[in-house]
Amino acid sequence: MRRFKDWSIPAVTAGFVAVLVSYAGPLAIFFQAAQSAEISPAMMTSWVWAISMGAAVSGIGLSLWLKVPVVTAWSAPGTALLVTLFPELSLGEAVGAYLTAAAVILVIGVTGSFDRIIQLIPPGIASAMMAGILFQFGVGVFESLATVPALMIGMLLAYLVFKRLTPRYCLVWLLVVGVGLAVVLEGASLEGVTLQLASPTFIAPEWTWQGTLGLAIPLVLVSLTGQFLPGMAILRTSGYNTPARPIVTVASLTSLATACFGGITTVIAAITAAICTGEDAHPDRDKRYVAGIANGLFYLVGGTFAGTIVLLFTSLPGEFVAVLAGLALIGAIASNVSAFTAQKDHLEASVITFLATASGVSFLGLGSAFWGVVVGAIAYNLLHRRFAGKKAEERASDGAR
Amino acid sequence: MKHIEKGVSLRHAPADFIRDLNVDNVSAGFVAGIFGLSAGVIHISAGTAAGLDPHFIMIWVISYLMINGLFGLFMPAYYRLPLPMANSIPGALLFAAIIPVVGVEAALGASLIAGAISLVAGLAGVMGIVMKLIPMPIVMGMVGGILLKFGLNMVAPLEHAILPAAIMILAFFLAARFLRRVPPLIVAMLAGIAYMAYAGVDLSGIEFSVTFPEFIVPEFTLEAFLAYGLPLALILIGMETPAGVGLVKGMGYKEVPANAITAVGGFGTMISAFFNLHSTCIAAPMTGICSSPEAGKPDKRWVAAVIAGAIFVVGAPFYGYVVSLIEAMPGYFIAIVAGLALLRVITSAMHMTFSGKHEMGGLFSFLIAASGLQILGIGSSFWALVLGVFVSLLFETKDFEFIRRVAHEPSA
Repeated sequence: MRRFKDWSIPAVTAGFVAVLVSYAGPLAIFFQAAQSAEISPAMMTSWVWAISMGAAVSGIGLSLWLKVPVVTAWSAPGTALLVTLFPELSLGEAVGAYLTAAAVILVIGVTGSFDRIIQLIPPGIASAMMAGILFQFGVGVFESLATVPALMIGMLLAYLVFKRLTPRYCLVWLLVVGVGLAVVLEGASLEGVTLQLASPTFIAPEWTWQGTLGLAIPLVLVSLTGQFLPGMAILRTSGYNTPARPIVTVASLTSLATACFGGITTVIAAITAAICTGEDAHPDRDKRYVAGIANGLFYLVGGTFAGTIVLLFTSLPGEFVAVLAGLALIGAIASNVSAFTAQKDHLEASVITFLATASGVSFLGLGSAFWGVVVGAIAYNLLHRRFAGKKAEERASDGAR
Repeated sequence: MKHIEKGVSLRHAPADFIRDLNVDNVSAGFVAGIFGLSAGVIHISAGTAAGLDPHFIMIWVISYLMINGLFGLFMPAYYRLPLPMANSIPGALLFAAIIPVVGVEAALGASLIAGAISLVAGLAGVMGIVMKLIPMPIVMGMVGGILLKFGLNMVAPLEHAILPAAIMILAFFLAARFLRRVPPLIVAMLAGIAYMAYAGVDLSGIEFSVTFPEFIVPEFTLEAFLAYGLPLALILIGMETPAGVGLVKGMGYKEVPANAITAVGGFGTMISAFFNLHSTCIAAPMTGICSSPEAGKPDKRWVAAVIAGAIFVVGAPFYGYVVSLIEAMPGYFIAIVAGLALLRVITSAMHMTFSGKHEMGGLFSFLIAASGLQILGIGSSFWALVLGVFVSLLFETKDFEFIRRVAHEPSA
């Protein structure tokens, strides 16, 4: 690294905070997925290792190459999707779907058709599906009142206070306070948490049409619209005119490599990206790429000690993870719901998509996210799409009569 | 009486009713009426779950339709607004749960007091202020959450009836797109009936019966008041009226008689207490159906509410028969029809909740209401409002600028 002179403490701190926020919030969703899949701590360690390594390698590589703070992470809405699909979906099927999704995104990346595909998807439908997937997590926060009232109320208050006082570090403080509350109120013990090196576990992929339709396709959709789209938008509003092509391509190549160890699709970060691309990372825009590299380096550390992270989460009650995940997603739910309600011209189709996705109804072995898109697409085409050609034909035939 | 809003009048109501009658409001009225009738299933299942006497459950439901229906004829006709009256569903669940503890008479006594509190609140004119303290996006978030939970619960059983569901929903979409004149809901219902005729529905073995409400003298106990009367009063004032008024306002009606709705609901609840019924109030889901664009021109939608009330009154004595009919009709039929009817309401509720101001408070309100949580025996709709306002005060203080304006016009 010849440009060590670009390194600065704020940039490294930004990278560190982004990693910490990712581990404090979005990782909780991944743990919920692990809980619903009923996997062993060793397997979970492999998953955390894989997603951390994927984020580390792609983030460092892209930031160095493009000289832009590219923060990568795992697909958070994708993990939310997993929670609803396990345990009916087997691990092998999930890995097969990861590979399929990565291959599809790779094709999109290499051919440079990202921007064109994004324009094809009605924005309301995409946001509505995201909101539908995330909705259950938000509701879950309040549903846990029945089982762990004190913990839930304490964490909700902590979230509100920190969100108000230090919005940037909110999730980190919430994790700290939440762990404290879980220990005091629920009698969770952290004694077993020790430093542990991770060892990845190989999972043989398996391809089924349930996995492809139920996970791979929605995964591609939410990764494109829920991660790549806002992630690229954050980069561009921060003044980086980076093309999407190299980022999408590198992220999907990393996804292919980590998939067999349980690493869900690597994507450009949306929740944490702004931390590293903003002024707080460095006043000089050209030196913020260091934050992207630092972010990757801290992911390397996190991945190496994935076992410790897993121990921390598994020694805490499941309700704690549910509340943490839900609160971490409040912002994402709000932005997706207001995004689709703002698209007035196809609002009804969006609401139908939202309802169908949020219903959690599964049919023919396919989850509600798939059906949400299907029903939403039908509703969009039937209710809102302009058939310019057909209308003209109808009028012509009416006139003939 | 100075806080009670003036309506149009009852004198020309019958003539105006016939003048304003059209396909849209008649079909919406029928849907709302049938929806209200089907809500009796909630009473039946809650009462049975609480171990209540089947005869009591029957006269409870009959009173619900008869008394609520009578008030539901008067309110929309006087104000010429889509204000259908029914009972409080959360109240019904509380009522069924408290009877085994305190007895029917004591529970009804608590209802009587709750009704009196609501009447006083309406007469004192506090509703306008309550409504201004609780911003619209937060109220609509709550309404959206409640309706969403309702809607999602209805979607869930459709896994087993995917074919008729698909047929009816597709018919709805196609009609909405290509048949401008015919209400899409009617098309969906016809498609459903056609399917049922094809699939074969067994309607034999349904016995005809006639039942009327029965008079009862309430008793007063402190226990019943604290456990049920006070929560009911809060529900009536803090939730049912804001939800109903919020819906009607959300549909574009400027002047909605919030005080009168509260006062009449309170008075109706006091009457209800003498007839084995827990409450009378504005009915949120039915209001949604009657006030939605499905019900035609805005100034004629009141007809839909009157029709819903008439269906209640006429249907009441025969409800035993209706219960058998509802039980004979496949559950998915009512579920889909009601779900489609509520679609536009949920859409507009969500649009209003997330339209700029109070988004954070609205989101919390929405999520809490949808979660169905209970604290101190009070349901999620109340806490949705409380926490929604709290969160909004914390994060969106500047959105509350109108509070200052309210302070300058106290009689608002």
